[in-house]
Amino acid sequence: MNVLTLALKDLKLILRDKLGAFFILGFPVLMGVFFGLVMGGSPGSGGGTMKVAIVDQDQSPWSEKLIDELRKNPHIDIEFDELPAARNSVPLGRRVAVVVIPPDFGQSAGILWEPQPEIQVGLDPSRGAESAMLEGYLMQASGALIADRFRQPTQFVPHIERIREDLQAGIPDSAALQLLDEFLGQVTEMIDSADRWQQADEAAGDNQAFDMQFANIKRHDISQDEDPASPRAQLKKLRSRWDISFPQGMMWGILGCVAGFAGSIAREDARGTLVRLRAAPLTKWEILLGKALACLLACCLVIGLLTTIGTFLGMRGDDYGKLFVAALAVSLAFVGIMMTMSVLGRTEESVNGSGWAINMVMAMLGGGMIPAMFMPGFLQALSGFSPVFWAIRLIEGAIWRQFTWSEMLVPIGILLAVGGAGVVVGTSILMRRYR
Amino acid sequence: MITADQLVKHFGSLCAVNGVSFQIRRGECFGLLGPNGAGKSTTIHMLIGLTIPDRGRVEVAGASPSLAATRRMIGAAPQTLSLYEELTARENLTFFGRLFGLSGATLRQRVEWALDLADLQSRSRHRVSTYSGGMKRRLNIAIALIHNPQVLLLDEPTVGVDPQSRNYIFETIERLKSDGLTILYTTHYMEEAQRLCDRLAIMDQGQVLAEGSVPDLLQQYGGKKVVTAQVCERPSALLLPGTIHNDQLRFETTQPVEDLARLIDQGASFHSIQIAEPDLECVFLALTGKSLRD
Repeated sequence: MNVLTLALKDLKLILRDKLGAFFILGFPVLMGVFFGLVMGGSPGSGGGTMKVAIVDQDQSPWSEKLIDELRKNPHIDIEFDELPAARNSVPLGRRVAVVVIPPDFGQSAGILWEPQPEIQVGLDPSRGAESAMLEGYLMQASGALIADRFRQPTQFVPHIERIREDLQAGIPDSAALQLLDEFLGQVTEMIDSADRWQQADEAAGDNQAFDMQFANIKRHDISQDEDPASPRAQLKKLRSRWDISFPQGMMWGILGCVAGFAGSIAREDARGTLVRLRAAPLTKWEILLGKALACLLACCLVIGLLTTIGTFLGMRGDDYGKLFVAALAVSLAFVGIMMTMSVLGRTEESVNGSGWAINMVMAMLGGGMIPAMFMPGFLQALSGFSPVFWAIRLIEGAIWRQFTWSEMLVPIGILLAVGGAGVVVGTSILMRRYR
Repeated sequence: MITADQLVKHFGSLCAVNGVSFQIRRGECFGLLGPNGAGKSTTIHMLIGLTIPDRGRVEVAGASPSLAATRRMIGAAPQTLSLYEELTARENLTFFGRLFGLSGATLRQRVEWALDLADLQSRSRHRVSTYSGGMKRRLNIAIALIHNPQVLLLDEPTVGVDPQSRNYIFETIERLKSDGLTILYTTHYMEEAQRLCDRLAIMDQGQVLAEGSVPDLLQQYGGKKVVTAQVCERPSALLLPGTIHNDQLRFETTQPVEDLARLIDQGASFHSIQIAEPDLECVFLALTGKSLRD
């Protein structure tokens, strides 16, 4: 109970300090939003267009019509290419998908009773949202072809007559013939009604008449050749620009907590409140646990706040249960680091100064400023020495890297080991100092 | 109520406290008088249990102050203002009250009592950072009393305080004393010790030089009264005691009135006469050979 009282007091103090509160809560949000905006071209941002390669193997007016319909869509940026080049561009991330319009597409496209030609879409399944959107746009464009067919209903008559003749020649059974004759009569009636519908819509000023959507779209996964561990393959798991920027923002908030609480022991010492705490019926362990709990709660609060804001902007956690565990592990690790930082100096100024210096080095190496995967090779090799690297990796694992529980064990283990070492070093020095 | 027995404490090569012993009775106000660096605060820290003595024994109500139960009986107002400036007076009191095990209605009641005691009701919801030095000192004492302790340790409670607040603190301490609270009061102001303390220990360089009630100390170490008189007329044959400079006579005596009466009978007359009683400054001077304010 005393530990909680101490922790709540420390939280209250840090939130009342405007600058401290800014570095813990305001600054990380700004960092998250800023880096998110900088990464505006990242996949799945929702606001831009998706580049789609088209391979037109039909070259008919109907394939042209389909392409024209796609071109009208402001969310699609069409580029023509040969099939091999178009196919390669998707795993490389240059294009969202490749759409292959097959030969003889125009013969049956948009005719309801004919089997629809197979439009092949080569895509990367990790970009699920964009793939689904593209499929929808293709359906919509194919629907426009059907509507276009119905805008000229008389063009169906030769088709129908030919079918009738075929039937009459091939089926001697008069009863069956009569049945088919009645069916085709109904088709003609349907065409007439469609024609009337179109005229009525045109009179109402709506040119989207008979907006029926139907297409035979076959999806192909063309991402198989890529190394799933490669940064590019990893990046494909991103669903939003905020997926990278908000974990970074969380880290800045946690580093703010670490710096803020590391200085609080020296501050209490300088202001004399530590004497009063030690004169109270508390053990030294309770006093230190109070500090640790306050830091832990603040770190969790920061992660919670940034998750909420990130989610509001478009970040989507892959697994919120894993994110909770990641938040707890990261917070515990940095509580330990805070305990060690708190003994780096005797005065608040020296602790704060050295604390932020260490924070900056950890952040630079660990990908707090530039994501580790974009750093030069030698820096990436060093980044593993920074707890920030493992913390970001763990949080990202729960947000977009799609870590399994076993994949989470390594960063969790490293972070808990770092945190445990920090607690041992910090508390032993503090205990000796205030003996 | 409080026993300090042969306390010794070193900080590196510095001997901060060297064989300090005293006993404080229940309901007594006991003073530790000495200059800065005399070892008063270190002694207080050992009494609270913050500093472990290298040698010697400390007991408060018959038990070690390192025990939580003993600490609940002690209220300490450190020399440094020990307040959370970002919190209000009410929040400070509530926080420390909780640490001492108060809760619910009892805690609320004690907070109101402490705010009344410190005369801070009207500012109780303002942050401490907006308070004057005197208000902070009063709150510092009020926090020490929030849990209704049996022993109050005040370490230089009037440092940096304006005369009005200082007087308020004196009145508060006198009230607490009359309520039967046992008080240990450290100061380097002899007037405060003389006004408030039933008994005193005079400390210098980590040692207790003398202990006793103020009259006893004055009688034992205070020396003679000092008479200063501006001479108007005197017979040339009259032999004056002490020294005379620019017609100002100065001499020390245990019987100033009798001595002056004898001089007047012998024909001397004076424009003005001043008789200075010995004070604790004189006691300190007699014990150490230096002024308390050095």
